[in-house]
Amino acid sequence: MGTQAPGVRIGGLTVVYKTPAGELPAVRDISLTLEPGTITGIVGESGSGKSTLALSLLNAVQPPGRIAAGSVEIDGLGDVVGLAGEELRKARGRHIGYVFQAAQNSLNPLKTVGKQLLDLGRSHGVEDLRGLVREAQELLGRMGLDGARVLDSHQHELSGGMRQRVGIMLALVLNAHLVVLDEPTTALDMITQANILKIVREVHAERGLTTLVITHDIGVVAEVADRLAVMYGGRLVEQGPTREVLGAPQHPYTKGLIKAIPRLVGDIDEARALPGRPPTLATVPKQGCVFRERCALRMDVCDDVDPAPQVDQGERGPRTVACHAVTVKEHA
Amino acid sequence: MSATLIPETGSAASEMRRNFWRGVWRVMRRKPSRLVGVVIIAGFILMGVVGPMVLPEHLPSDTNAITQAPSWEHWFGTDPQGRDVLALVITGSRYVLLTAAVTAVITVVVGTAIGLFSGFKRGRWDTVLMRFTDMKLTIPGLPLLLVLATVWQFGSPLQMGLVLGLLGWGGVARAVRSQTLSLRERGFIEAARGLGLSTRHIIGKELLPSMAPYIAMNMLISVTGAVYSQVGLFFLGVLPYESDNWGVMLNLAVFQAGAMITPNALGYLLAPLLAILLLTLGIVLVVDAMDEIFNPRLREE
Amino acid sequence: MITGTGVVKTFKQRGKMLGAREVRALRGVDFAIPKGGAASFIGESGCGKTTLGRIIAGLETYDEGEIEIGGVPMSGLKHKQRQPHFRKIQMIHQDPYSALNPTRTVHQTLHAPLTLRAGQTGRSRAWIEERAAEVLSLVGLDPGTVLSRYPHQLSGGMRQRVVIARALTVDPEMLVADEAVSMIDVSLRLGILALLKDLRERLGVSVLFITHDVATARYIGADGELYVIYRGQVVERGAVDTIIADPVHPYTQSLLSAIPVLHGLEQPGEQPVMPLESLDESQSDAGCLFARRCPFRGERCAEERPLLRITEGAPQEHACFYPERRDVIARPMSEV
Repeated sequence: MGTQAPGVRIGGLTVVYKTPAGELPAVRDISLTLEPGTITGIVGESGSGKSTLALSLLNAVQPPGRIAAGSVEIDGLGDVVGLAGEELRKARGRHIGYVFQAAQNSLNPLKTVGKQLLDLGRSHGVEDLRGLVREAQELLGRMGLDGARVLDSHQHELSGGMRQRVGIMLALVLNAHLVVLDEPTTALDMITQANILKIVREVHAERGLTTLVITHDIGVVAEVADRLAVMYGGRLVEQGPTREVLGAPQHPYTKGLIKAIPRLVGDIDEARALPGRPPTLATVPKQGCVFRERCALRMDVCDDVDPAPQVDQGERGPRTVACHAVTVKEHA
Repeated sequence: MSATLIPETGSAASEMRRNFWRGVWRVMRRKPSRLVGVVIIAGFILMGVVGPMVLPEHLPSDTNAITQAPSWEHWFGTDPQGRDVLALVITGSRYVLLTAAVTAVITVVVGTAIGLFSGFKRGRWDTVLMRFTDMKLTIPGLPLLLVLATVWQFGSPLQMGLVLGLLGWGGVARAVRSQTLSLRERGFIEAARGLGLSTRHIIGKELLPSMAPYIAMNMLISVTGAVYSQVGLFFLGVLPYESDNWGVMLNLAVFQAGAMITPNALGYLLAPLLAILLLTLGIVLVVDAMDEIFNPRLREE
Repeated sequence: MITGTGVVKTFKQRGKMLGAREVRALRGVDFAIPKGGAASFIGESGCGKTTLGRIIAGLETYDEGEIEIGGVPMSGLKHKQRQPHFRKIQMIHQDPYSALNPTRTVHQTLHAPLTLRAGQTGRSRAWIEERAAEVLSLVGLDPGTVLSRYPHQLSGGMRQRVVIARALTVDPEMLVADEAVSMIDVSLRLGILALLKDLRERLGVSVLFITHDVATARYIGADGELYVIYRGQVVERGAVDTIIADPVHPYTQSLLSAIPVLHGLEQPGEQPVMPLESLDESQSDAGCLFARRCPFRGERCAEERPLLRITEGAPQEHACFYPERRDVIARPMSEV
């Protein structure tokens, strides 16, 4: 068991889902590196494949889905795609903590949080259960909750923000150093969201984690992430240091997304909706650029050729964009 | 709300109906087991309708061939009066199906009405009706049936269906009520009310179609229950004798022909049992499709 | 014009064996939404903003106070008499998935209210078809492709447009949009907001927007009024841009501080306000409702409840004994 933040290297990952129309890719040929000790944010709309990608990190894609190609290398664990059965179960929780959507009821409504904690401990062969409870209380206390009271509570006695903190506690209590947060603040209020994001940042720094945040909300990523990856139609269209991507987005989709956020100051009419709508598994183009239907910079080449990611080694880390229009402009 | 309702445009409505049946066919084809179920049920209905018309009212009895083992001539053998067992099962099916149909109609109509009313009105009516339903559900069915059967010798299929239906709507009422309660909180019901649509529209067009799969499933399940109950009552012999009836056949097979010890009478015992089994199987196979038939999303996909 | 004065609503919580607990959802709220105007209620969940919206749309009753629709007071009327008034106010629900009946096509969904209307006004069947196509065009959908569809065949954004089209079938005076875009894909949200704004401008429909996101409220109508609601009380009320630029109530300031900063594009405000603890409905009602969470509370706050009023130095109404403007919102890098 490593005690240091692990790095993660996703290489050429493709995840397909079996449908009546054949096997369709929800995630197609994605390569992404999570540097040790960083927070990476993945932004995407429904159907972008972001949740599927997150599940692949645990090798937890459920049938009818399956990982068709690629690898997910995690330091101290090896290629997760090759793991199965008992090994895989041990890895989840011990190495990788997963925090489910706040909106979902990922806690068992019939058991107290404490009982669920003990179940978790037993299933992972923890011998010192007292120590585990102490650790949990400490974590909850760290997040501003009364640990003893929360462990004695049932799910319905906790507010949305408290549940989310319990989720984070359960993900970290087995000392995992790689944490995946799936939509950590969806359905939470602004103030609660700000609180949770602050906690995520602080806990990340204190415990030395590698964190992946999956969200549809650029604001959330902007608040917490060091690096930002934008997904669309199962493809990674742009990634780079958060400030750089937000400050100077290159891919037309990223640009559109940022433009579509109503702002507090300035001319409100500058906000523009993106035309069209995000593709589903069935409607995503099989070849060529996945975004072309909604793109203002569409060219002939976009219809047939998948734009290859262009890597640019910047000062603050590599920056990648996959767009023909951007490539053409650079070479012109 | 007394506004005259103009029916939805004719062509659009018939187009929708066509689409619906096309969807049903798609759903049925999706699993071969469902088609098997439909074929079985259709077979039984055919038997019940046509059988008694084709076969003579008094089946010929051959006194030289009583209680015979299955043979090419008599597939399931003959009964102690020398009648063909298969013919008995066929003529007996009308009684079973008729009772089941009456039971189903009463169960669904009474159960749905009470459940809807209860769930939609809530408050005092709900409390009273549900207490009544609970009370009914707690009374053990078979003993009550036995008592009723001895007191009031209901023999005709209509009477039988009426009794079974009036005893059996509790489950449907409960299911429909809980569905109504959960649906009435949904946005579309609230929106319908906000738009000023009539209660009749809300119940008939918005609520009922959403509950159709539950109602249909409960109906089919109550049909199987009705089949078991009536056969059971006749088997126990608490009702007046009916010449061609599956329950009576079972009774006679065991107590008169001695099917437990006489191998020759085995066909006489097995034939009605097999018929019950097949009918139940048919229903169970079709129940599986109900959810997909009434849900447009599952129907189309 | 739709106005409310001193609207009070109390929910009785059941479940406890003895002494049902009462939850004060609204503690005397005043509001006024002019014809064709825009208003926004903002606050945390459980603050009463949704309850107030539902009361205004006639989906919930109120215990005290008065609501007037077009000058007609509602409390004197029977349920049946109120209905036609409340029909002018249509609710757009948060969840476009449950707001449409999954067993009915768009055509059927629009047909029912239009048929009712045709019956009342003696219009022909052709009018119904015409009007159905018209309301769909108004919300930016192509009637030809959408009419025969079931809800599951539409995207979230399209569903929400159908919901709005359905509301338009009764020619409403006001649309109440309760978190109407929070369940819609990010790239499509602005389209729905733009549609509401457009309907306001083109048809003169007033829009009441209920949200926890101030920026979206601004998009619907920067000229509109903003009501910041906390535990059933309006704590700050004024023009949207005034409150965003110069908030004086610490609760408003916490809400604004909590909006994520787009680092790289924006610079965070210099005096962000973070509440001391999280919302606890069971806290005592004495004094200022926000006092326990307020980093700037004074002695007076624990004893007395401040009422909504205008004081010197701020153009908007507020309910705070120690109002002070703070620099909380993020500003674009270009401005700094």
